[in-house]
Amino acid sequence: MPVVELSYSRLQKLLGKISKKQIFDSLPFLGLDIESEDNDLIRAEYSPNRPDYSTDFGIVIGLQGLLGIKTGAIKLNIKKSNDYAIHVEPTVTKIRPFITGIIAKNGRIDDNIIKQLMAMQEDLHFGIGRKRKKSSIGIHDLDKISFPLTYTTTKRDHAFIPLNSDKKLTVSEILECTDVGRDYGSILGNSSQVPLIFDSKKQTVSFPPIINAAITTVTTKTKNLFVEVTGVNKSDIEDMLSIVATILQTAGFTLVSTKISGAKNSSPKFELKKLVIDSDLINQILGLTLNNSKIISSLKKSRLDATLKGKNIICSVPSHRFDIFGPMDLVEEVVLGYGIQNLEPILSPSQTLGQINPVSLQLKSVSQIMIGLGFTEALNSSLTSKRILYDMTNRESNEIISVLDSKSQEHTILRDSILPGLLENLSKNIHISYPQKLFETGTVFFQADPIGEKTNFAGVSSHRDATFTEIKSILQSALNQGFGLPIETKTFSYPIFEEGRAASILFNDKSIGIIGEISSKTIENYKIRVPVVGFEISLSGLIFD
Amino acid sequence: MSQVFHEIEKKIITSLKDNQKQTPENLEKSTNLSPDQIRRGIEWLKLKGLAIVNESQTINISLGKNGLESFHKGLPERRLLDLLKNESKKLQDLQNDLGSVFGPAIGLARKNNWVDTSEDKIVLKNYPSEFLGEKTLKQIGENKIPKNEINLNDLSSILKRPDFIIEDVIKIKEISLTENAKLIEMTPGSSGAIDVESKVPDVIVARIHPLKDTIDEIREIFVTLGFTEIIGSMTQPSFWNFDALFTPQDHPARELQDTFYLDGLSAKKIGTLEQIRKISESHKKSWRYYWDINEARKMVLRTHTTCVTIKHLAENKPDEARVFSLGRVFRNEKVSYKHLVEFNQIEGVVIGKNSTLRDLMGIQKEFYRRIGITKIKFWPTFFPYTEPSFQTMVYNDRLGKWVELFGMGIFRPEVTKPLGITKPVLAWGGGIERIAMIKYELDDVREFYNNNLSWLRGVKKCQ
Repeated sequence: MPVVELSYSRLQKLLGKISKKQIFDSLPFLGLDIESEDNDLIRAEYSPNRPDYSTDFGIVIGLQGLLGIKTGAIKLNIKKSNDYAIHVEPTVTKIRPFITGIIAKNGRIDDNIIKQLMAMQEDLHFGIGRKRKKSSIGIHDLDKISFPLTYTTTKRDHAFIPLNSDKKLTVSEILECTDVGRDYGSILGNSSQVPLIFDSKKQTVSFPPIINAAITTVTTKTKNLFVEVTGVNKSDIEDMLSIVATILQTAGFTLVSTKISGAKNSSPKFELKKLVIDSDLINQILGLTLNNSKIISSLKKSRLDATLKGKNIICSVPSHRFDIFGPMDLVEEVVLGYGIQNLEPILSPSQTLGQINPVSLQLKSVSQIMIGLGFTEALNSSLTSKRILYDMTNRESNEIISVLDSKSQEHTILRDSILPGLLENLSKNIHISYPQKLFETGTVFFQADPIGEKTNFAGVSSHRDATFTEIKSILQSALNQGFGLPIETKTFSYPIFEEGRAASILFNDKSIGIIGEISSKTIENYKIRVPVVGFEISLSGLIFD
Repeated sequence: MSQVFHEIEKKIITSLKDNQKQTPENLEKSTNLSPDQIRRGIEWLKLKGLAIVNESQTINISLGKNGLESFHKGLPERRLLDLLKNESKKLQDLQNDLGSVFGPAIGLARKNNWVDTSEDKIVLKNYPSEFLGEKTLKQIGENKIPKNEINLNDLSSILKRPDFIIEDVIKIKEISLTENAKLIEMTPGSSGAIDVESKVPDVIVARIHPLKDTIDEIREIFVTLGFTEIIGSMTQPSFWNFDALFTPQDHPARELQDTFYLDGLSAKKIGTLEQIRKISESHKKSWRYYWDINEARKMVLRTHTTCVTIKHLAENKPDEARVFSLGRVFRNEKVSYKHLVEFNQIEGVVIGKNSTLRDLMGIQKEFYRRIGITKIKFWPTFFPYTEPSFQTMVYNDRLGKWVELFGMGIFRPEVTKPLGITKPVLAWGGGIERIAMIKYELDDVREFYNNNLSWLRGVKKCQ
């Protein structure tokens, strides 16, 4: 989950007379998980569906609602202007077809605001921008740009001075030599043409979605901003822009519109989305009997607008709340505005009778029998390693099922057998008193179409006098007395067992598993100093399907 | 109440009552017991706090070969000076006279300025009135003398000389009765009684795994709350793990770095044609992207048990039901004290026309009450497939803070509608290890899978 860094003093400046405690107590009810608190600073995780919470301005909007300071939807006040035109050329259609933008004037830009805008940009790029693939933002110093702009494409030998550089680089050089180029260059594929924004003086403004030009860098001297968003889908870039616009307006900027045309592009409208919701649905889901005015005031506390029309409530959702799809999302907004803490849990009698799955019951019986026989239950990961499964036990590894890109070397392969894990357990306990007797039941995997799973049961006994007879009588007694399954053993050889001291286990002449004395080589590999005997059988098809 | 004593103990106590301090050797004689019986008896009585074993040591001193020689012939330095008393002598002659003791004697004489060398002769300068160590030699003679009777200063001058002094360390054990033991009346009879108060060895107790214990307990609670257990595969097509749960194909959670994909494995059959069509439509409409069926076919290790639940609901479409699913789930994480790649999750769903969010909260509250957690609260959160979504926070007394436990919510219409589920589905669940960690007061979740026998054998069974 993304993290936002907040400051009590900044929040208090924006909220007015609100105590630290009120802020601390309210943040979780916006869905923020407070990670740490250090004097003035709070680090909080926010949900990826609320990118508007990536700055404290967005969080202030939410807190104002919850605390009743300001309620209802935020209205974007955008001054109409024809001064800021962007023309789109059709060449972009194949590579990154859409652009939108907004002008933000007369804001106070200090280090802190720059830091917050950068953090917001990062989070938006990563989350809803899908690592800039779907949409990406450029924030520029408006006064360094001469409108109208052209959004077009250029060849890879086009050169300009990119952000954080002091010399001209070609597009190819940027893609090869800069971190952002290497990280995001793949979005552009192998196309010979790349997207570019020029201004009226033919000066490069931005090379989306990679990097801005150095000339438009925002500093604490910047007064006015130009924000552009480019991407593959018109709705997505407008969603992203609406978040930036809402945050900039809350930060004190005056918004001015851009005029966008060409190649199916048009100016953003920031329209409110109208949704109809039935109060019955709300009450039925929440288990409450809220009247319409309570529902409306709750929605307003969640910073939405709502009016009554007949029996229905018409809800107006501001454009930056694109996480709201339909009525169920509004139910959540109602309950957040109403306050979860005000919902009294109720325990209604169940209309159904519960039942444990027969497989679980059978596995529990196996456990009980084995504990009666003096075996302690072990639990191992089913995602394990080649070392444990095959190398240490000399088992054949021709049907490995592995996972891609595991972060842990100890967890790369799905187990096809439980026994090797139990031997690994014994090797970790050689300093503990003997006898050591372990068993485990669990899932093992095998290649099928595409993959099969079955439940196996394995046991080991390890002490000075451990013998084949001991382990055979354990298994025989467990299966016969526990489940009425008489077994027989037939000489066989397996790499995990000592030659001549291994057998396959038969029930009704069908092989259900293996049993024997663990080979001296494996015992040596594990540096175990006493004999080990063990078995493994498949329970699937034996005591359950 | 009178204590029961072994015959050996009785004999020792009786003997010590007569003769209050005895060595084990004395006891052997006075009781007619073997040395081993005496040793064991003393050990038992000591453990019971009835006997005191006082161990002391004395050192006896006698003379070694060189010491005896000096005792008989005089110290080498005296013999040297005696030879020089009348006339100075050549070094060679002295050497011949004194043999091997000449070296140490001349060294000592020079050091003490008793002799001088003039040309090739040794000349006597001083003849001391006494030689240190001589008194001791005389005192010991051919006897053994306790060290504490000897003048240590005089002894020290010859102690280091080779083979002069032999020290014998003699350990003495003396056994006596404690005041309590002296009061013991030895009664005849009760010969069939055994010592029921003595210590006995531990035996190894075979145990169910502590985590399994918690899992069983949680399973029982779900069943008594009216839920029926369903089980499903750990390996799933992405379709059921993600697509059916409204998680878009470009969602970060679906990347390799969060989810385990099975190398090269794709499912041919993932669902009915209608299910596939409707889910892909729901994705296209809501997330505006190209939905790729091949992505949905890719096999993953399930990241939650919700895939089992949703598949069950899609296949059975009940109007009224409580079911739960419990089992291993997988996340591609770095293993640490708080993260495992594989852990257990439980998830329950309630379907019914009168199921409300407050009912869901009530079931949770009751569940937590039954596992012994009473301080809980609900906070909003986000899951891609539920709306509204809450999480429960429970107060951990040991850590002194609120910790996040189960998540809950109502399945989004985007999840239920394409699968033909018409009634609201309340869902809740979370990781079981987290609860087990609270119960077993663990700070490191890896302990559950270490199979450390001393922990498995010794951990307290929690209530």
